[in-house]
Amino acid sequence: MTTQQRPLLIPSPRTPGAPELPYTPAYADQLKSISENPKPSSGTGMDINSQVDNLSLPDNITLNSSSQRSNSSYQSRASGRNSMREVSFAGNSVRELNSGELGKKPMRYGSRAESEGLSMSQKEINDEDARFVYINDPVKTNERFEFARNSIRTAKYSIITFLPRNVFEQFHRVAYIYFLVIAILNQLPQLAVFGRGVSVLPLAFVLSVTAVKDAYEDFRRHRSDKIENNRLAWVLVNDNFQQKKWKDIQVGEIIKISANDSLPCDMVLLSTSDPTGVAYVQTINLDGESNLKTRYAKQETQMKNLEKEKISGLIKCEKPNRNIYGFQANMEIDGKRVSLGPSNIVLRGCELKNTRWAIGVAVYAGRETKAMLNSSGAPSKRSRLETQMNREIIILSFFLVALCTIVSVCAGVWLRRHKDELDNMPFYRKKDYSEVEADGNYDDYNYYGYGLEIFFTFLMSVIVFQVMIPISLYISMELVRVGQAYFMIRDTNMYDASSNSRFQCRALNINEDLGQIKYVFSDKTGTLTENKMEFHCASISGVDYNGGTAIDEDEQVGYSAQVDGQVLRPKMKVKVDPQLLSIAKSGKQADQESRVRDFFLALAACNTIVPLTTETADPAVRLVDYQGESPDEQALVYAAAAYGFMLIERTSGHIVIDVQGETHRFNVLGLHEFDSDRKRMSVILGCPDNSVKVFVKGADTSMFSVIDNSLNLDILGATEAHLHSYSSVGLRTLVIGMRELSASEFEQWQSSYETASTALIGRAALLRKVASNVESNLRILGASGIEDKLQQGVPEAIESLRMAGIKVWVLTGDKQETAISIGYSSKLLTTQMTQIVINCKSKESCRKSLDDALIVSQKLVPDSVAAHATGGSSEASPLALIIDGTSLVHILDSELEEQLFQLASRCNVVLCCRVAPLQKAGIVALIKNRTDDMTLAIGDGANDVSMIQMADVGIGISGQEGRQAVMASDFAMGQFRFLVPLLLVHGHWNYQRISYMILYNFYRNAVLVFVLFWYALFTSYTLTTAMTDWSSMLYSIIYTAVPTIVVGILDKDLSRRTLLKYPQLYGAGQREEGYNTTLFWVTMMDTVWQSAAIFFLPVLAYWRSTVDISGLGDLWTLAVVIVVNLHLAMDVLRWYWITHAAIWGSIIATFICVMIIDCLPSLFGYWAFFKIAGSALFWLCLLGITVAALLPRFIVKVFSQYYRPDDILIAREADKFGNLTALRNGEIELNPIFDPPRR
Amino acid sequence: MSSGEGSSQPSSKKSRQPKYSRFTQQELPACKPILTPGLVVTTFILVGVIFIPIGLLSLSASERVVEIVDRYDEDCIPSDQEKTAFIQSDKTNKTCVRSLTVPKKMQHPVYIYYQLDNFYQNHRRYVKSRSDKQLRNPENEDLTSPCEPEARVDNKPIVPCGLVAWSLFNDTYGFSVSGMNLSVNKKDIAWDSDKNYKFGSKVYPKNFQQGSLIGGGKLDEKIPLSEQEDLLVWMRTAALPSFRKLYGRIEQDLEANETITVVIQNNYNAYAFGGKKKLVLSTTTWIGGKNSFLGLGYITIGGLCLFIATTFIVMYLIKPRPYGDPSYLSWNRNPPGN
Repeated sequence: MTTQQRPLLIPSPRTPGAPELPYTPAYADQLKSISENPKPSSGTGMDINSQVDNLSLPDNITLNSSSQRSNSSYQSRASGRNSMREVSFAGNSVRELNSGELGKKPMRYGSRAESEGLSMSQKEINDEDARFVYINDPVKTNERFEFARNSIRTAKYSIITFLPRNVFEQFHRVAYIYFLVIAILNQLPQLAVFGRGVSVLPLAFVLSVTAVKDAYEDFRRHRSDKIENNRLAWVLVNDNFQQKKWKDIQVGEIIKISANDSLPCDMVLLSTSDPTGVAYVQTINLDGESNLKTRYAKQETQMKNLEKEKISGLIKCEKPNRNIYGFQANMEIDGKRVSLGPSNIVLRGCELKNTRWAIGVAVYAGRETKAMLNSSGAPSKRSRLETQMNREIIILSFFLVALCTIVSVCAGVWLRRHKDELDNMPFYRKKDYSEVEADGNYDDYNYYGYGLEIFFTFLMSVIVFQVMIPISLYISMELVRVGQAYFMIRDTNMYDASSNSRFQCRALNINEDLGQIKYVFSDKTGTLTENKMEFHCASISGVDYNGGTAIDEDEQVGYSAQVDGQVLRPKMKVKVDPQLLSIAKSGKQADQESRVRDFFLALAACNTIVPLTTETADPAVRLVDYQGESPDEQALVYAAAAYGFMLIERTSGHIVIDVQGETHRFNVLGLHEFDSDRKRMSVILGCPDNSVKVFVKGADTSMFSVIDNSLNLDILGATEAHLHSYSSVGLRTLVIGMRELSASEFEQWQSSYETASTALIGRAALLRKVASNVESNLRILGASGIEDKLQQGVPEAIESLRMAGIKVWVLTGDKQETAISIGYSSKLLTTQMTQIVINCKSKESCRKSLDDALIVSQKLVPDSVAAHATGGSSEASPLALIIDGTSLVHILDSELEEQLFQLASRCNVVLCCRVAPLQKAGIVALIKNRTDDMTLAIGDGANDVSMIQMADVGIGISGQEGRQAVMASDFAMGQFRFLVPLLLVHGHWNYQRISYMILYNFYRNAVLVFVLFWYALFTSYTLTTAMTDWSSMLYSIIYTAVPTIVVGILDKDLSRRTLLKYPQLYGAGQREEGYNTTLFWVTMMDTVWQSAAIFFLPVLAYWRSTVDISGLGDLWTLAVVIVVNLHLAMDVLRWYWITHAAIWGSIIATFICVMIIDCLPSLFGYWAFFKIAGSALFWLCLLGITVAALLPRFIVKVFSQYYRPDDILIAREADKFGNLTALRNGEIELNPIFDPPRR
Repeated sequence: MSSGEGSSQPSSKKSRQPKYSRFTQQELPACKPILTPGLVVTTFILVGVIFIPIGLLSLSASERVVEIVDRYDEDCIPSDQEKTAFIQSDKTNKTCVRSLTVPKKMQHPVYIYYQLDNFYQNHRRYVKSRSDKQLRNPENEDLTSPCEPEARVDNKPIVPCGLVAWSLFNDTYGFSVSGMNLSVNKKDIAWDSDKNYKFGSKVYPKNFQQGSLIGGGKLDEKIPLSEQEDLLVWMRTAALPSFRKLYGRIEQDLEANETITVVIQNNYNAYAFGGKKKLVLSTTTWIGGKNSFLGLGYITIGGLCLFIATTFIVMYLIKPRPYGDPSYLSWNRNPPGN
């Protein structure tokens, strides 16, 4: 690693905080690239793959896979949770210890350096790229560059800028520009087809609706901005802390924060109430992680009393950026240069916790804070249907151009044929006889020659036929999606009571994609499982204790401790094994008892958990909440507490543990944190009896190598057997060992530890070595089994998804064995499945195993079946592919990708274990780039962000691991099982509704255009419109808009019950049955027929009669509206009263509008409606048109439904007639295992 | 203290559980129509049963209409003369006498129409060339801008301006039966709405047909526009290029085989653009004029529906499909291994 060779800026050995540590972990670059490229788009697939390829993966992966290869699955059973959390880098590893008797000065020891990798290497910041902050000198700081003030502004507009800016933003939509161009064209006198006012109407309508919506949203933002800006903070002014409004805070000012205050801006910590300069912050508002993070003030500033002695210094830091985990700066203070890293900065939006006060200097303020820079909205994606729709829109514009060309060419021909007559023709009168030209000829009036006349006719026809491109469709679609989102959010079946979270729609424009998903990529931890670790059983010196009884909330009080007259009780209760409990409680000094005690002591002590006490309703009782980055550790500490070893306090140098009612204080002499090489952690405790003990816990593979094999072979063997049985039931295991250090050993350790931690080069490696030295010759205490609880309803959900023809892939950072065991418990894998396992170390071996696997798969799944594999039918031997991250490194981004794809598409289940976050995105891209199938990624953690953004639909689980996944997602929900109602029910409905709506809107507008077109053929191609201008503009606003929106929101083909009972019905969306090119063309043919019926029936009936333009125009208007609405009525599947109101209401509204228009004497067609409607012929025409226009569609519908019923229709019939016997038969045929998810 | 921004923390302990209502859960009561054979057959038969009688009724109504159509533009012009020159000249005698035979008894009122073919009253240049404001109110006499090129004469506004008025039809017809003059009632041939609102009773024709090119009929400058019913009729522009306009009514019965002598003043120049002029005498029924299309159409549709209903019944008997039968579902239909 090159960074190791780089010289340090300042070698300051005693400086707490370890940014000086030069060690950059192997995957720091990878992490950096994640944080820098938060949104890998599909276009950068190459990029991602190359990044994946470049990663030098942590050694553990290679080690692991080799061991897996040699011994099937026996050796590697347990693993620390930590190794899976590659990206949970926020947790700072450095612990401090007050060395008590051993040292006078406060000091911190640290052994893990991963987090520092994020501070990047110790690069010198260029002056141009830096901002200079003079501490406590805001005037000087701000004199050269005007840094942003701390007032924030999330509102987009002010009163003055609203109109121009909003209009400008709205015109970013191409559709609106089309609208605008048409409206402008219509303003030209030669082209004015419609009245000037009328032609602007639709555009104005749409713009104003959107503007009102935007204005309201902005108003709310203004309000919240105001509240935020006027909050108060203590700022150092003239050596006194005074209250200042947030908005007045400037960069360079010194700010004091008290406990539980939120931070007004990003600031570098100068000092805190803790003597060692530690501050705890909660970042829930920033990344949603609720655990506390430690931040440090530099020793150089921590010593100062800021109110008394004036501080001055210069911080040189990088320009504002959005990386909330990175910060790079150095500080010159008292002539010394100190480097600052991400652990020295606290960010706006965080809250100070557990620290009385903290003082810092503002470095980024207002909109330049990382929180504000990160507060961008959800990424916008485009739905599949909309993309396909654009294809048809292009066809429609070809239609439009074709119609316009026909009209204009015909007009040219007509002019040519009548060129001799034009001058005198009473209805043309080319010459203007009122003025005589000098040469005795007359001027042409409004005639510009054939070329221009044809051109003008063309433009005019574009204006007349403009609705061919259904712009109103875009608006209706948005409204419909809002309606759909409303229903999804309000669905009581998707409310998660445990996290009190509703379904969230973060992206509004891909609702219908939910109905077409073919691949689901799921994270495991926190998505399939609850990420709630529960201590399940323990094996202590070879004795298995797994008789944990269920917690009974009422009877069992659990363990509690008395401290200072108050009762402390752990927040969570754990099932306890009564036998183990009695052993733990007995004060005997027997061998087994003392081992049990040591075991629990190790559980309570060997961790990085911070206990927090919270008040309860009863003032005498306080709850202890264990905060930590690893849920495994939390589970272990809670377990220890339940057995009477309760961690009460953790400070810099000691921990306090209540052991069976007695409070013991242990000095924490050293702590070697978990790292992925050792895969274990250890703590060195100075016990009250002055002995020094080292407790180690870690993964079984790494622990057995450091356990003294000469001792207690029986215990070792028994423990191994227990470990095997634990992991086979899907438990996560950890092995715990300890030994006592002699005084000489301790001194030796201490000196080597200090040497290592002050070393200039290779510090991390040295520290690792120190740790390895002390973690040796351990005595085994036992092993713990922690249950990673599966979320409720996961197996049923996976079964439903599989029946729906959705392939579920699980991508996890876990080991192969864990992944497989979860696979079984979640019914992803079944015993009938043939498993293909690929874990190879080199490209060549990958190639070979892929080839072999392909041959096997071809044998098992013949091609013909593979094609149907998505249909959800159960084949004789389904395939499951299990592949690990190392192999994927070799396969992704190489020519082997294709083979993997071939193989994976034959498999029903794919499990990827040990995958890095970017590999997850790579796997999604593997499918996305090669097929048209829709992909959905679901995950809960920061490591799923790349995958969520890569997939067509990204779903975040608002669970334990913070909100980053949710922030990146399109939809968020509380539980994995909600995927079933979301896809099968809402997705299906959304797809059916939107796809029908698109087709209908195309049809609706095209009918009108064709009617206008036919009429153009009878006006010598001059585009006189028989319908009034108002009617043709109101057509898509009033006459026909409401029913399509109502139907688009409310209509549903099948009930929720049926959809859940037959997941296969989901296939309709996957096969694009609701919207495809065939349907489009069929619709268009229907359109031509209907428009012909509407137009020609009255033409023939009124041929050579006295009928006037307006009268016939009114007839056509009404006929079009009635036909179009009845067409919709014919397709409505469910008639609610709202549907009735919308459809019949629209028809009635049209009659009323037509009457009103014809009552205005200023308009051309005054009274025309009343004249024509007075004759029976009019009404007979309307009736005849309606029936004649809709008859073909009805006939086709009847016969196709009768002879080729699709699944949805049959299910609808069954739904309606409640054909019970038939349904029961169906169920037996389908799948007896299936148990519909609880409602 | 909670932070103002983000406010992602669940506010207190309030449950965010959505309230249950039948609307939000999309479980409103609804009617779910399904095209069952019964419904389908009923629909088709119903349409057939309704349409065929209506068709027959309209057909018979149309048959009852007695209509005399006489194209006179060809015959009313001396074959030796150039047509346009003849019609444009002031000197020529344009009187033309035609005799028509009444085929069947025509009950009064007998409507007199003139029919123009190939005359695009719906041409966009033509339709737009009028000023409705000017027609309604004498104060708007100068609002002639839409009327170009027939807006002004010697810079004085033309009332009524525009091509529509300028091209006013001016053939006249005089009728007599066996030497007895038939009186033609030309009152109330225009719409009441036009007379009362659209055309002002105080607007008098001015400078009309004073230009260098005379388009058609002239108007009596002493009669307000609202009473110039021929103009009103003419200015209700026709929707289609072949149209009829009401000329007047004969308020007495015409007996079968009577010969009507028509004296036509053949003034109107339809020759310039190949138009045809016809005189039409017609009675009327509830369906309007003679037009069998609607009746035939209705009968066809009705017949088709009945035919389809029968076909459907036959097909249903031959190959019934049980409704809602899961064995028809695609995944149950394909036997495994297929």
